[in-house]
Amino acid sequence: MRNKQATRLLLELSEPGRRGAVLPECDVPCQHLENLVPDRFLATSVPNLPEVTEPEVVRHYANLSTLNMSVDTHFYPLGSCTMKYNPKRNERLAAFPGIVDVHPYQSDRSLQGLLRLFYELQQILAEISGLGAVSLQPAAGAHGEMAALMVAAAYFRDQGESRNKVLTPDSAHGTNPASAKMCGFESVTVKSTPQGFVDMDDLRSKLDETVAVFMITNPNTLGLFEHNVAAIAEEVHARGGLIYLDGANMNAILGITRPGDFGADMMHFNPHKTFSGPHGGGGPGAGPIAVTEKLGDYLPVPIVVKKNSPDGPFFQLEFDRPRSIGRVRSFFGNCGVLVRAYCYLLTHGGAGLRRVAENAVLNANYLLSRVKHFLPVPQGESCMHEFVASAAELKQDRGIAAMDLAKRLLDYGVHAPTVYFPLTVKEAIMIEPTETESRETLDHFAEILFRIIDEPVDLLHEAPHTTGVSRPDEVAAARKPILKWVANNPPT
Amino acid sequence: MPYLYNTPEDQRAMLEAIGCASIDALFDTIPEELRLNRPLDLPPAMGELELTRHITELAAQNLSSESADCFLGAGSYDHFIPAVVDYVASRGEFYTSYTPYQAEVSQGNLQAMFEYQSMICELTGMDVSNQSLYDGGTAAVEAVLMSMDVTRRHGEVIVAQSVHPEYRQILDTYLTSLPTKVVSVGCPKGTIDREEFAEALGEDTACVLLQQPNFFGCLEEVRELAEQTHAAGALLVVVVDPISLGLLERPGEYGADIVVAEGQSLGTPMQYGGPYLGIMACREAFVRRLPGRIAGQTVDRRGKRCWVLTLQTREQHIRRDKATSNICTNQGLFALRASVYLAAMGPEGLRDVAGLCLQKAAYARESFANLERFEPAFDAPVFKEFVLRDRQNRVDQLLTDAESAGILAGVPLGRWYPELSDCLLVAVTEKRTRSQIDRLVDFVAEDSKDKAPLHA
Repeated sequence: MRNKQATRLLLELSEPGRRGAVLPECDVPCQHLENLVPDRFLATSVPNLPEVTEPEVVRHYANLSTLNMSVDTHFYPLGSCTMKYNPKRNERLAAFPGIVDVHPYQSDRSLQGLLRLFYELQQILAEISGLGAVSLQPAAGAHGEMAALMVAAAYFRDQGESRNKVLTPDSAHGTNPASAKMCGFESVTVKSTPQGFVDMDDLRSKLDETVAVFMITNPNTLGLFEHNVAAIAEEVHARGGLIYLDGANMNAILGITRPGDFGADMMHFNPHKTFSGPHGGGGPGAGPIAVTEKLGDYLPVPIVVKKNSPDGPFFQLEFDRPRSIGRVRSFFGNCGVLVRAYCYLLTHGGAGLRRVAENAVLNANYLLSRVKHFLPVPQGESCMHEFVASAAELKQDRGIAAMDLAKRLLDYGVHAPTVYFPLTVKEAIMIEPTETESRETLDHFAEILFRIIDEPVDLLHEAPHTTGVSRPDEVAAARKPILKWVANNPPT
Repeated sequence: MPYLYNTPEDQRAMLEAIGCASIDALFDTIPEELRLNRPLDLPPAMGELELTRHITELAAQNLSSESADCFLGAGSYDHFIPAVVDYVASRGEFYTSYTPYQAEVSQGNLQAMFEYQSMICELTGMDVSNQSLYDGGTAAVEAVLMSMDVTRRHGEVIVAQSVHPEYRQILDTYLTSLPTKVVSVGCPKGTIDREEFAEALGEDTACVLLQQPNFFGCLEEVRELAEQTHAAGALLVVVVDPISLGLLERPGEYGADIVVAEGQSLGTPMQYGGPYLGIMACREAFVRRLPGRIAGQTVDRRGKRCWVLTLQTREQHIRRDKATSNICTNQGLFALRASVYLAAMGPEGLRDVAGLCLQKAAYARESFANLERFEPAFDAPVFKEFVLRDRQNRVDQLLTDAESAGILAGVPLGRWYPELSDCLLVAVTEKRTRSQIDRLVDFVAEDSKDKAPLHA
């Protein structure tokens, strides 16, 4: 049934003279081009874009889309990414003209509905985080991390302190140390214990007055709640440092506990994860950050404030914030993502959000209880929203790697979990089912995994067998990179 | 809750399988004293119908380019978006998938990204493109950081004042903790002051950041600026308007080393400033310093052509603090929209869009110049937007009045350029009709009557 032509490139479909869009005639008096723009600025040829018709564009992309797994079509337990259902109402509402066709430099007066929405979103995120000041500006989680570290740097500059280190656990997302580096900090790694928690002794040995921030993910990337988090925060605070909470795993603790209540001074949210995205094939996300009141003055500008007047409340962008770190992106933020998050939050309310966390954790523990009998979960008597199994024994005994299991799962019609992360678990398989999956789906997944483990080794090494392509040669791709199309390069 | 499956019976059965007494007990690893023992204080939950009513009410309080004539630009533009763009981007197989970590079940995304990279290279005349950054502003900053890395010069970067003021603000923010100095070059006549520029270039200049057409809509003498930049051993980073490349010379041809752009013009709605699309392309020699994801062509184990994420050793999930950037989640869906837009337009369509913008902007600019109240602030040739000086110095009042009449007339420049507080920036896209332009000009003419100029 699959359309075999689907993987031809647009370049290969192109025929001179075809076109997909016809623009209106010019309705103003047309002038000679050279009267408007001197020759030296003009291109001597048109860009070599494909020449295709509208039906071809549609068929091309419609067929390409069928080569993807997605949340709409498949179970997608990609650990750390929270691939939950993406509500369709959010898509519709975010596309209303008064939301989507709005220019970023319109006056506040002409945008009272939208500014009210963002103001309320700031309030909601402050309540969920337990941190009083919020910026909606950062464009993704990593961007939020970076903005918050800049906030910390500005705070310490104002205190007259020169702290040049950021500590991150060895189980942290790679973005943590990368963000620290971009802000001019030295990144120092803190070890984990064999049980998967921050090693307190190692932390203490690295904690001194040069440490600006300890970045912690909680629940951590093993899906465990760092039960020492309050003690960690106390020790870091005692040395004058700040705690940053990587909010990637907020789905587990919505309404159960709040970062501000367990000692965090700053955090980011991942609305494309926790508040239902969607993930867009790689993005967009958004990375709003929440910080304590004392750090609020340093947040990026602008933020939305509410002024009360005799005519009622007026919402406006506030730019005049002298201690602010400035801007981290153009315009207000990834508004389309934020509007969807707002819709998601209003759909659930406070009690509903708690049920999201409860069911995310219930689903993960249920799956864990089934999987751990045939695939070791080194740190896993119980978990929060995800758990990390290990194929290390399988690899040693039978030569079956985490990647083999991941690839074979694709044949059974489920997306693979995250593999080889976190780096602290050998042959890691990181499974996050989310709350928007049924018990039957979880049972089915466990059964597939159970069956795969007993399959012949060769079958697994060569998996997947049912997908259009299998095991692309990544080494060749990196050794001699082909990063754009060239003519006469037919599909084989 | 509308998106949850588990019934109370499911929950009981699952808890039993887990060997756990209750839902609450699942959270036993969270110390009691850290728990929030009250419901979150949020607005009450809404069903789809109430939520739709609520958002409808909020949306109705906003003017938009649907309800008003939009002449606002300055980095975000009201261009026409063909329906095919929305159709493709609303396919769940695209928008509910994620980063193509598993290439076998992501060939649709990967091929679309490869095609995006290819079309961006065709458009800019550059060798390689990444898969997107957050927006034009952060892309410009990443390009500056990359230039420092490539040239191993960390002393200073030269930035024209005709680069989008917010992009320059982002650069200042990013460089706060780094030793690099930003040298700003003035543009008193709307384009880069050549003498000041020549003086600013030094042996520790990593790059020159300029914009073409620049923030004022004017065309810079890019070819000469490129030569001077290269003579000083620095890289030329150019911010472009991708629509303009339907007509204007491609940056790769006049000597740009890294090209960045706000890709919003290519099929993404304005949506109050984001999500947008950070475009970045560069010369082949710098490919291993590029930030962000890159799709590459390869073959699978059966020899079939296919696509993968490649050169990942640049990235944070492998290299951590040694990565070329911290970026992880990008703007994939908007890169897809740009691809569909470019495919639907084709070379002729893009040239037509660019031509319409040029002609209509010229018509509007001349119509304004016929009014006694206004003069073009700068003489340099422009593409789709231009700066007007209000001899009455009543820009804010004019914009307020126009807004009441359903016209979003322009962007006031005083907030970024105090010396231009009597100026506004007007953008005209292919969507504006002659009658809309005439209405704007007539409105302004009427508004100007019997009013004495304000003096600053």
